[in-house]
Amino acid sequence: MSLINITLIVYVLAAISYIVREIWGSMATRWASLGLLILAFCLNLTLVAKRSIEAGHPPFSNLYESLIFYACCTAFVYIIFEFIYNFRVVGALASVLTMLILLYATLQDDTIRPIMPALKSNWMLVHVVTYMLGYAAFGISFVTSIIYLVVKPFTKKSKDSKEDEDGREILPRNFDKLSYKIVAFGFPFLTLGMVTGAVWAKKAWGDYWSWDPKETWSLITWLAYLVYLHTPLVLPKMNINKSKASVILAFWLLFAFGIVNFTFVGLNYLPSASDSEHIYGSK
Amino acid sequence: MKNVKQNQPRVTGETKGKGTSKQISPEKAGRHERRDSNKVWEFFCSVKLAVVIILIMVVACILGTVILQEKTLDEYVARYGYGLATFFRFTQLNNVFYSHWFSFLLILLCANLICCTIKRWRNTFLQTGFILTHLSLILILAGGVIKFQLGVKGGVNVYEGKSVNYFLTQLINRQGKLDYVKKDLPFSIALDDFILEKNEPKFQLVTYVKSKDRQKILDVKVGKKQRIPGSDYKVTIKDYIPDAELKQEPVNTSDKPDNPAVFVKLFGSEKATAEGWLLAHDRNYYEDKKQNLRLEYIWVSSQQELDNTISSTEGTTAKLSVTISGEYRDYPLDLNKVFKLEGTDYTIKMLQYVLNYGDKRPLSEQPQDNPAVQVEINGPEGTETRWVFEKFPDWDKMHPAKYKNVKITCSGIASTYMAKNTIRIFQSPEGKQVIVYIKDKRVVETIPWELGEKYTIADTGNQITVSDYFPSFDFKKEVIKKSDTVGIPAIYVEAEGPAGKVGDWLFSNNQYATWYTDNNLALVYESTGESVKHFTSKLRIEENGQTVTEKTIRVNDPLKYKGYVIYQSSYDPEAGTFSGLQIAKDPGIPVVYTGFGALCFGVVFIFYIKPFLRKKQKKAAEGQ
Ligand code: HEM
Repeated sequence: MSLINITLIVYVLAAISYIVREIWGSMATRWASLGLLILAFCLNLTLVAKRSIEAGHPPFSNLYESLIFYACCTAFVYIIFEFIYNFRVVGALASVLTMLILLYATLQDDTIRPIMPALKSNWMLVHVVTYMLGYAAFGISFVTSIIYLVVKPFTKKSKDSKEDEDGREILPRNFDKLSYKIVAFGFPFLTLGMVTGAVWAKKAWGDYWSWDPKETWSLITWLAYLVYLHTPLVLPKMNINKSKASVILAFWLLFAFGIVNFTFVGLNYLPSASDSEHIYGSK
Repeated sequence: MKNVKQNQPRVTGETKGKGTSKQISPEKAGRHERRDSNKVWEFFCSVKLAVVIILIMVVACILGTVILQEKTLDEYVARYGYGLATFFRFTQLNNVFYSHWFSFLLILLCANLICCTIKRWRNTFLQTGFILTHLSLILILAGGVIKFQLGVKGGVNVYEGKSVNYFLTQLINRQGKLDYVKKDLPFSIALDDFILEKNEPKFQLVTYVKSKDRQKILDVKVGKKQRIPGSDYKVTIKDYIPDAELKQEPVNTSDKPDNPAVFVKLFGSEKATAEGWLLAHDRNYYEDKKQNLRLEYIWVSSQQELDNTISSTEGTTAKLSVTISGEYRDYPLDLNKVFKLEGTDYTIKMLQYVLNYGDKRPLSEQPQDNPAVQVEINGPEGTETRWVFEKFPDWDKMHPAKYKNVKITCSGIASTYMAKNTIRIFQSPEGKQVIVYIKDKRVVETIPWELGEKYTIADTGNQITVSDYFPSFDFKKEVIKKSDTVGIPAIYVEAEGPAGKVGDWLFSNNQYATWYTDNNLALVYESTGESVKHFTSKLRIEENGQTVTEKTIRVNDPLKYKGYVIYQSSYDPEAGTFSGLQIAKDPGIPVVYTGFGALCFGVVFIFYIKPFLRKKQKKAAEGQ
């Protein structure tokens, strides 16, 4: 069996063990689920490493390579957060999300092709790595928003929603705050990714910004999360109560993650895709 | 401790701010002006405005990628129709990012950023990130304006050994047409050398399963059995030769005349002019157009047939035989003459003839493979046109025809175009073998032949030798290695499937697929194409005829001179003789890059450093 299939299976096992842990909640299941996810992550990392050795270049030159790297980043970011906060059920969905990304990678053409000259740049390396870490964080915030929206109707309107500032053992009904923290973690990466991308474009194509569809959509993504980060300052002034505001923001995060995915893999559907220098598969 | 103190003014400042604005309104209710300007100020400071502007920008960006940008008017009309095209032009949706309304949006954004930053400005360390990010965006936008006003960007192609002192910029003019504007450079760029470096060609084995319509690329690894997903086939590459050649050696496989062939040498006055195998069932003739000579190898199955064939050679004329209501008539091949079929209502006319049906070449170049005549029949029910084939006399029986009762055959068509000199080598199983020399359709001589003997052909000045005879001719294929470097690689592939195991050599220069026995699995070994590894231009900048600087540029490594940056952007894909340069000048770059730096530091500060400092403060406060 190929490494990628084994990795997929371990991700599924991790997801299952996270669900088991949610039901029994013993310390043993906690370590089992985290252990399985770390194992899956290590396999995924091996996959990335193996690929870059075989291809002889950093593994981001086509959609297949980017996707396995993206999956790897998602697992990594989740694991970091798991160490900071006790995440509970998020792990199950995060594993499923990662698994889906990897599954999507298996549908792509995995032929190794020599990379084009413009991709041979250190800026490109920083650019992709930071972007992927940002996207990974947004993926996790997508998961926490889903859980928040699902759990929300079942929680009583208790005024004293006890929350631990340090975040240990955050209850799903407070996942709106958790989402914010994760976005706040990812946003600087997204910004760095965008800036290094611009610097790289200047070096390779002579212009840091040329309103190319890929550039424009990454700006849209950035603006979407910028809106998310600013709205908490607006909503209270608009007579929107706190719980309604949280729901709006959670929905906004689902939508914003949709934009992330479109920027990542959907641009081929744009009529302007054929003019672009940067879209996978358009050239 | 210190941090806590720093935090204090922030809190008080905020409450104070809110307090005053609350107090001002009722007190100075009469002074409208003040209140109004206050309102404008509040408007430009508000996050609400920020969010609204950003959302509008998001929509604008989406439109700017969904609607094609900066195309010629013709392209818009062709794609969207005249109405929409005019609408896009009117609303500048065909150039969203450089439109007046988008500029207005950016100005509004700037105003908003400036106002809110001023309003919230506090000299506390924790505010650093907030101020930096907001100011950085202003810087970046300002840099963008500088670029738009003072910057230029364009391209030029330079040929090796030549130089240029201008470049071209592209724009869509007021008429909606593509226009180039020439921009002069204050120096000239000489291309001393252009180097295009290609990657080593790579090869892949592509498999295709017809019933599934699925293609899969396999690893080219010797010895590994690979399963083709979604099917029962397995493929193993058994051998690999980096530079292979196929040698085909003629061999005789048995003494039974399954595929008779002779090796014939033809001599001019002295030296051999031609030699080669003639195969009775396959390629059975050789033609020398210059001498108007045709050499044929004819295998006849019996002595009887041999005699008949030879005797009938002479006086062969092309003719058409028509059978109608049991009566049989012959007509000479005579184009466009109308023949009345006596005693009937029919007439026939021969329209044209060919030596090889379907062959588009002129008659003189056609091989005599499938001679045919096109005939027009006129009868009581009108006109019918049909082809009559010499070698398929029953063709009309099997195909729809108006006049089924009229049977037409033809013969001797080829003789109308018989070469002036024809040499026929006859052979039959009984062993009788003769060379017949025909000149101007008459048999001049008949010579019995033996292997290895040389015969002189009457007055043609030619001599002929049949030097070898294989009753059952075949090719033995052998793949040999020409060198160790990658040239034309070949792999030996063994395919396993429902019809058992089969192996064959696949050559990378063979563009046809090799099919497995069941005709469902196809294999192609092919090059993935040469891809470009690097392209570099050795550039020299000249000013007043003197070289001022030199650099070899490549993608990602441009040359900078006097504010201009010269990039390697493309190359001549056909001949590889010119280098495509992109030339840009952007005085806004320092401003933009300062903005980039501030932005990066700002966000990192807000989201990583500030929470960390806050936590420390809190701990310290709790500790007190
Ligand atoms: C990287 C981009 C940005 C970051 C990281 C950022 C961050 C912030 C932060 C942290 C605050 C709150 C300051 C505080 O509480 O002391 C703030 C406020 C504000 N931001 Fe931004 N911002 C960004 C871009 C923008 C943009 C593009 C606008 C649009 C014009 C904008 C408009 C505002 C406004 C109006 C406020 C003031 C809110 C108020 O007065 O209550 N920001 N921003």
